[in-house]
Amino acid sequence: MDPRIEAKLMINRREFFGRQALGMGTAALAGLLTRDGLAAGQQNKGLPGLPHFAPKAKNIIYLFQNGAPSHVELFDFKPKLVGMHGKPVPDSYFEGKRFSTMTGNPKGKVMLAPVEPFKQHGKSGAWVSSFMPHVASLADDLCFIKSMHTEAVNHAPAISFFLSGSQLPGRPSLGAWLSYGLGSEADNLPAFAVMTSISKGTTCGQIFYDFYWGSGFLPSQHQGVKFRSGADPVLYLSNPEGMSAPVRRGMLDDIAKLNEIKLKEFADPEIATRISQYEMAYRMQTSVPELTDFSKETEKTLALYGPGVKEPGTFAHHCLLARRLVERGTRCVQLMHAGWDQHRSITTELYTQCRDTDQPTAGLIRDLKQRGMLNDTLVIWGGEFGRTPFIQGDLGNRPQWGRDHHPYAFTLFMAGGGVKPGITYGGSDDLAMNVADKPVHVHDLQATLLHQMGIDHTKLTFKFQGRHFRLTDVFGKVVKDILA
Amino acid sequence: MNALVLIAAMCAGETPAGKVEFSRDILPILSDNCFACHGPDEKARKGKLRLDTKEGAFKPSKVEGRAIIAPGALLQSELIHRLTTGEAGEKMPPEKFGRQLTSSQVGLVKAWIDQGARWEEHWSFLPPARAPVPQINSAARTANPIDRFVVARLEQEKLVQSPRAEKTTLLRRLFLDLTGLPPSPATVRDFLADNSPGAYEKIVDRLLASPHYGERMVWDWLEAARYADSNGYQGDGERTMWPWRDWAATAFNDNLPFDQFTRWQLAGDLVANATQEQKLATGFNRNHMINGEGGRIPAENRVDYVMDMTETTGTVWLGLTFNCCRCHDHKYDPIRQRDYYQLFSFFNNTPVDGGGGNPQTPPIIETFSLAQAEEKKGLDRQVGLEQAGLEEGEKKFFPRDKGKTAAEAEAAKGFPKEQKEVLAKSAGSRGKAQIELLAKAVEKTNPAHFHLLEQLKKAIDRRDAFSRALPRVMIMEELTKPRETFILEKGNYEKPTVKVGTAVPAALPQLAAGAPANRLALADWLVSPGNPLPSRVVINRLWQQFFGLGIVKSTEDFGVQGEKPSHAELLDWLAVELRESGWDIKHMVRLIVCSETYQQASKVPPGMAERDPQNRLLGRGARFRLPSWMLRDQALAASGLLAVRLGGPPTRPYQPPGIWEEATFGNKKYVQDHGENLYKRSLYTFWRRIIGPTMFFDTAARQTCTVKQTRTNTPLHALATLNDITFVEAARALAERELLLASGKDDDAIAGIFLSILAREAKPDEALVLRSGLARAMKHYVANPGEAKKLLQVGETKANPGLDPVRHAAFTALALSVLNIDEALNKE
Repeated sequence: MDPRIEAKLMINRREFFGRQALGMGTAALAGLLTRDGLAAGQQNKGLPGLPHFAPKAKNIIYLFQNGAPSHVELFDFKPKLVGMHGKPVPDSYFEGKRFSTMTGNPKGKVMLAPVEPFKQHGKSGAWVSSFMPHVASLADDLCFIKSMHTEAVNHAPAISFFLSGSQLPGRPSLGAWLSYGLGSEADNLPAFAVMTSISKGTTCGQIFYDFYWGSGFLPSQHQGVKFRSGADPVLYLSNPEGMSAPVRRGMLDDIAKLNEIKLKEFADPEIATRISQYEMAYRMQTSVPELTDFSKETEKTLALYGPGVKEPGTFAHHCLLARRLVERGTRCVQLMHAGWDQHRSITTELYTQCRDTDQPTAGLIRDLKQRGMLNDTLVIWGGEFGRTPFIQGDLGNRPQWGRDHHPYAFTLFMAGGGVKPGITYGGSDDLAMNVADKPVHVHDLQATLLHQMGIDHTKLTFKFQGRHFRLTDVFGKVVKDILA
Repeated sequence: MNALVLIAAMCAGETPAGKVEFSRDILPILSDNCFACHGPDEKARKGKLRLDTKEGAFKPSKVEGRAIIAPGALLQSELIHRLTTGEAGEKMPPEKFGRQLTSSQVGLVKAWIDQGARWEEHWSFLPPARAPVPQINSAARTANPIDRFVVARLEQEKLVQSPRAEKTTLLRRLFLDLTGLPPSPATVRDFLADNSPGAYEKIVDRLLASPHYGERMVWDWLEAARYADSNGYQGDGERTMWPWRDWAATAFNDNLPFDQFTRWQLAGDLVANATQEQKLATGFNRNHMINGEGGRIPAENRVDYVMDMTETTGTVWLGLTFNCCRCHDHKYDPIRQRDYYQLFSFFNNTPVDGGGGNPQTPPIIETFSLAQAEEKKGLDRQVGLEQAGLEEGEKKFFPRDKGKTAAEAEAAKGFPKEQKEVLAKSAGSRGKAQIELLAKAVEKTNPAHFHLLEQLKKAIDRRDAFSRALPRVMIMEELTKPRETFILEKGNYEKPTVKVGTAVPAALPQLAAGAPANRLALADWLVSPGNPLPSRVVINRLWQQFFGLGIVKSTEDFGVQGEKPSHAELLDWLAVELRESGWDIKHMVRLIVCSETYQQASKVPPGMAERDPQNRLLGRGARFRLPSWMLRDQALAASGLLAVRLGGPPTRPYQPPGIWEEATFGNKKYVQDHGENLYKRSLYTFWRRIIGPTMFFDTAARQTCTVKQTRTNTPLHALATLNDITFVEAARALAERELLLASGKDDDAIAGIFLSILAREAKPDEALVLRSGLARAMKHYVANPGEAKKLLQVGETKANPGLDPVRHAAFTALALSVLNIDEALNKE
């Protein structure tokens, strides 16, 4: 028998039968491992043979910015664009390109200079606008990719493409693949956690579809577990009113005893799985309240994340929760913050978006760094596409300035997890319109993320409907130049 | 891959013992490792070599004296050379492909060539034929042909059938399988007392006649049909497809033959003299998602919808994965991109447009119940009466000669031109705006006339409001002038290339000659005797429902990359039986549940957990976790809370607060129902596409067609069945009923709870656990009576104030435990 499987078996054995020996042989337990996707329910240990090679990162925190932040306003500084403010879009930049129906043809539109000034920051000299002072102050810890490009022009397909590799719903998301492939390091928390937020007063929020963290055709235990801001951070976590912990513990003991009687009689390994499933549910009931209790965080730490940190449901709160999850062994945390869809709010709501996300993002990276966790945690910040360097709206009406969807060039940044700090990779042309240097496609990014987690993206596959599916479809190249 | 052959191959080094079968053993290897570059997809083909056809596989090699495959001659077979060479440029599959054959797979290919390399077609493309039912000499119970196929296979493996399950186990299994509800304690007692030979069959017939049968059967169909109560995507507007859902449940209850079921749903509108019901049935293909996102291009949406219809049909009836062929020829199966768009063409002729604003995109049909039809008639009649009354009144108010209109009367002189135009029309032909105009003019001058006009207006308002509230079901219609269909490059609606006709895939038997190539012809073709796939695909899904896995495990894929059938001859026998029975689903269900195979005990015999962990050989009864929706129904039914009313608009039962609001930034508010709707079956729960009901796990996402069942055991599901209000309230109601019935005897109440959920009595060791658990909970609630009161307030029904709250609470905890033990969560 493969020693890895053997080891897995022993772990399972200990887990199941810690309370007493049940006289069931190893042979019977072998059945547990041959069911689809290994026996579901007990602690998820991932696939044998993974990671494929020594990983650089153990965890991923993806700060997904829903709605598509404007690379033109935030990171991709183009002096020529400033000079061309109000001038028509040159034809040569958009011939043969497809835009969303809101823009239609860019012909006749005029260029719009970024509304805030840019400066170079740190030793690396990265360009960041004054919209993002906290992120800017971290420039030497960040790796900017300024040559991102994608295929989709509408939000849902584009977000789905980033997170699942397909524009259509139904494929497993990045976190689900990680949970499936690498398993969880925690036996009391999910391997893949998701949190969603939106700035107060935002008028352009995009819906958070649950397929953004779905498990697709992978077993559904790998789908992201949504952490919520209400009374129950995880659905159905709390015992019913009037059923306090001692009663519940007693019930679970009775359930386990009755299940063990059944297991003796039926020898169905699924019953052992059930026992473990209920134990894990109980452990979650105690570990989640501990997780969401920030009372032991110092004021200094809290201050890093900014004023929103104590308010459940904010991006800041979620950033701190993300660190606490990763600390406790959660493999992948996906934060999604909506409201970046500035069709006519570049001069208004974009400020709110940045105010609510800039400091928490920087705070999270600083906090991870000071705890020595940044080395094996990969943080990614970015949206589903960029925004047009030309205007949407009327140049004379500044309060309503906007930019439309733009898939042809945009910026994303990463920190930690074995990615080179303080570099800028790739670039767009002189109007931030198209990629001009070292293009990075969405599948390339996905391949790179998996690579850092010790996974060869061509080898993590799942056979469904006769095809071996993977996150990167049949594409994707690891962007080796950005790896430390 | 046949596991036993593989094991044999490993044991004997590289040479497998026994006969190698191409379709079973070799084709999957070639398909998985070679077809991506040497398969049906012409554009992807390398070196002009194809291994998916006999011509390609046996043609001469470029190397002198060799063929790609030379029967009986390993050394002359280029294939073997390429599989085994160490030279990097020659070795197949190439390194960068990422997969390599195992040595036992190479062994199989070698053995097959050694044995003469007999080429066969992929099994599922050959028509099913009844193999002779095997003779069984042992003492095994073989009530019907199913058992003889299963036992014959078991005997080959030197295994034996399991004994019959205990009567109580069997009864619960049957109830859950046929109705999704547990048997009542009275039914259990009656069944235990009935020792007549046909006792079991009597129950089978009773359940097949129960209206709950359709409620259970339709669930899987709803998943395949991607049924939901909202459109999906941004906005996620509500739709009213539920009359279609109720139609489908009724069709199962009425046992509408599956060929008709097929014709009505795919082409009910094209059937001669189509009835309302047949048109309603076509809602099947309008259950797809509708994209109302701002900025979406309608023409692109429309193509998406037609693709969805095409692929759903491909999965549900043909068990083939068409979706790859949007962009290119299939990599494994003989389906070309052209075939895809020719099939697409059948669905391309509806007036459906891609606009997303209207959640009920035409064509639609208004549906109503008999009672509503009466009400509508009444409302129409009332409008008629008011019109007649007005007509009479105006004769008085505007006296005039016969043949003249009121406008021409003396009394109408002085009316402005517009009002005169209204008066010139008969009362029955005036629109609402005209009535209002006239009413305004006479309000002060002629109160009697004004009154009559107001009465008519109110009647019209009532009728229109009723009509607006009627559910509108999206259905199919055919354009008189068909749309042209083109192959779309990479599936892109903007890139039509070659124009194609309307046709079924070339690799399958063709449409009947002479019939117009439309959806009706397609439906007829699907259920025609010559079509090898639908009968197998349909019976396989039915089998999956009862045994947890299909005979072909990949219910969604009968293609070359799909799983091989575990019992090929049984599958074909059943497929032919289905067809020859007149597509009689109840007959097939009866056949399956009356088999001894179905009735076996589900205990795992010694050694079998590792020998046959998935029970593919069927040497024991099926034991698997019940679907989460059935667990909810079981709790409601066992507790007596279940509202049994069939059908109707979707319900909004208990759900943690804020779920919809959070997902939609407050645009969609979940307004929980009260009363009966909290306790209706799960089937009726409102299914919002962007955020499905939170109490269900492992269900289809209801976004695209899903036919494969999944069962995982996430701790989150355990939290739901332990803490969801529905389960806690059910436990409390069940405790209450049994406490009242037991009149003070704890043991009787415990036994009653156990019996209600599990349809059997607790064994002594189980009773011991339950009694001590009860004592412990009693002790706790005696010390904490406030907690007891709180627990009894969970849920909207009121606890019986006559019961001692402490006892009632302790028994509630006990009932909730029983609802959560493995046996309760499983079909056993």
